[in-house]
Amino acid sequence: MEKIKLCCAKCGFTIEEYTAEELATVPRKEKRYKYLKAKSSICPSCLASGRLAETRVTVDAATGPAPKAAPASSVAAPIAHEVHAEGDTPMMDAMSTGHFPSHAVELKKTRYPAQMYEQALQQRRTQWGYGGYVSLPGVASGVLVRASARPEITKGSNFVRIMDPCGNFFSTKSMYALCDIADKYAYGLLHLLSTGGDLELLGIPTENLKPAVEEITAIGFDIGSTGDDYRTSEECIGPAKCDLTLYDTLGLREAWYKRFLDDVQYPRFPHKIKCKFSGCPNDCVRGCQKADFFLCGVYRDAPKINQEKVSKWVKDGGDIATVCSRCPGKCLTWKNGDGLKVDNDSCLHCMYCSNKVPGVRPGDDRGVAIMVGGKLRGKFGPMLSKVLVPFMKAEPPDYKEVFDALERFTEVYDANARKKERVGDFILRIGIDEFYRLCGVEPVPQMLAQPRTNFFTHWEPEEVKDERRL
Amino acid sequence: MPGIGIPSLASSLPPIVKRNYGRWISHEHPRPGVIKHDSESGEACFTVRAAMPPNARVSTSTMRMLCGLADEFAEGFFRVTQRNSIEFIGVPEGRIEELIARLAKQNFPVGGTNRSLHNTTCCTGYMHCHLAATDPAAIMKAISEMLHKEYTTDCLPAKLKISGSGCINNCGEGSCADIGIVGIHRDLPPVNAEKLKGCELPLVISVCPVGAIKPKGPGMVEIDPKKCIHCPACSVACAAFAPIGSPDGDGVAIVVGGKAANTGDGPAIAKMVIPYLPNNPPYFPEITQAVRNIVDVWVANAQPDERIGEWINRIGWEKFFQKAKLPMSFRLVDGYDARSLEYAKANVRFRW
Repeated sequence: MEKIKLCCAKCGFTIEEYTAEELATVPRKEKRYKYLKAKSSICPSCLASGRLAETRVTVDAATGPAPKAAPASSVAAPIAHEVHAEGDTPMMDAMSTGHFPSHAVELKKTRYPAQMYEQALQQRRTQWGYGGYVSLPGVASGVLVRASARPEITKGSNFVRIMDPCGNFFSTKSMYALCDIADKYAYGLLHLLSTGGDLELLGIPTENLKPAVEEITAIGFDIGSTGDDYRTSEECIGPAKCDLTLYDTLGLREAWYKRFLDDVQYPRFPHKIKCKFSGCPNDCVRGCQKADFFLCGVYRDAPKINQEKVSKWVKDGGDIATVCSRCPGKCLTWKNGDGLKVDNDSCLHCMYCSNKVPGVRPGDDRGVAIMVGGKLRGKFGPMLSKVLVPFMKAEPPDYKEVFDALERFTEVYDANARKKERVGDFILRIGIDEFYRLCGVEPVPQMLAQPRTNFFTHWEPEEVKDERRL
Repeated sequence: MPGIGIPSLASSLPPIVKRNYGRWISHEHPRPGVIKHDSESGEACFTVRAAMPPNARVSTSTMRMLCGLADEFAEGFFRVTQRNSIEFIGVPEGRIEELIARLAKQNFPVGGTNRSLHNTTCCTGYMHCHLAATDPAAIMKAISEMLHKEYTTDCLPAKLKISGSGCINNCGEGSCADIGIVGIHRDLPPVNAEKLKGCELPLVISVCPVGAIKPKGPGMVEIDPKKCIHCPACSVACAAFAPIGSPDGDGVAIVVGGKAANTGDGPAIAKMVIPYLPNNPPYFPEITQAVRNIVDVWVANAQPDERIGEWINRIGWEKFFQKAKLPMSFRLVDGYDARSLEYAKANVRFRW
């Protein structure tokens, strides 16, 4: 049996290990192997960055695989936490008072090297050094290395990215367990919600990364979402606690993880891909601004109006005049006695009336719109996402139609984009019409803000049937 | 080991949510920070929302305290919201005041719903990032303190969201919010020859959006100081271009009018109104004053349900700059790519 090891070229630390058979049969391992070979990595052991060296070892099949070493977590050796330089913290003290909870107070309750933050504030410059993604054997993504620019205070601080449960609901039981791990291995500091929608544990010593990851997975959380893969998807609270949601965002996210977990944990795309799921056009996850692929709940028929409830709300002092005048489609009319009327021809289905007036609810012809290309930086700066599919039914439990489309669009991006090019930049480079063609979607008026104003369009010779020439 | 997926939906939902999953019919705001949802089963669910520290940095001891409150008041579950608040769901109606008092004792103010300042969000900044040009967490703490009244009462024309990003990578979503504070660098990145050996030169050169990075001899590059736009694209791609920034070179830009919802004028990315303000920790007076000014002008002039971007759309940018007494400058004019021509006015419908 042949074993293939990818090692640090400098210190020989094994980053990842495969068997030849695995590479031939498990597609995600093969993708991962090719990806790792092609890029430069940072070694978690010596922090040297560069291409990985490949070594092939033939292991006698008769002896079988080497017995697995006991997980380090079961070894009773105490975790050696780094001792950080200490000192006065006047800046942090200055922001420790007030009506709001202070991050400075929280940092000081933990093993976080407070001087790193204090010195940064005093010098008005960050004290952290360059970091990067790191691969542990068997852990393709989810662990990051953060170097320090002030080695006399701390040598650095690695962290792991834990994927949030659906809706960011936590049971206290699981949170107590996470706190225990944070206390044991990390600084004892939780980054409860990064803006990407993950939970991060900071300050895990390099040698303890693996046991920490093992313990995290043992209590039912998984790690991932670093590097050029699908990042942790975010979803709005949806049917769990919202009366406006148009599809089951939490169920869809759970199904998304079942189907795409490999792509979340094994980086292989040109750049990161963020997927966000909003239950309605209110877009509480800000998917239209942040997400490369954004599924937004939409409906097509008229809003449903419960006249009795609306009348009661108006009688109790509800400001129906403002709602009618600020309706973006100008399609609401209110008359005492007649009740609230809506003109579906000019309704934009924007949710404004449903947000404001109890008794107005979205219609029943519900589905999702798929939007692409939102981002906040990339090469061409912030861009709003664009409509790719205006309406599609989202059918639980496996949401096959939606996810098939998502996968198809992702493959188009994967096959055609340049390295480190976000989806939005890629579309801007090739043109949205070309992107529609590659994705195989037929244009419909709902996809356009307006048709083109110039005439620079290509016709294939076959399309031009000129009888005189024949 | 990894590969198990996220915790199951069934294990992470509170009992009251499980009973009424997908059956909610309406919601109302009985008081700031409390939301009431009614289910078609007749059950009502009260949610209490409290602000967490900036960047949702919570020590395990504080987390255990919050978990204790969740055990006591909310059947052992809690939720973290998109805007870094903590929500206790299914609090019995009679015990809401008690929970609010208990949270207040621990310095967790309850508010941030409906027409108020929603809790601020920000990125890591100086706490744990090598690219930060400013410390948004400290700025958000200062702004929250300044707008404490706006957080705890429904006194604004519409909801107000303020976000901060430490650099233009915008992890803190500055460009999404009504008022965004985005850290900017103004110095040239360094070129570290030793570290450049570990990077792919073609990638490093192509990653620069303006082509300012050019080859200079074998295995070395140089940066054209006239072309650099100080996006940290190169610093993200390769360690050779870090650390960037300097105490006096770094600062923040202020953007306004971002919005995600399709209501009103629809989604929009925030636009820059102040190109540079200096960093002055710990209270950042220049930045907090600029935010105060914009909020005050908006509150004084906006109609009900008009968020900052929609208010500006109605009165026009010329009136906004006039009312907010902000200077105009070339740095606010976008000339980055072909799309930027659309931002110049193409009619003479001026407001004087």
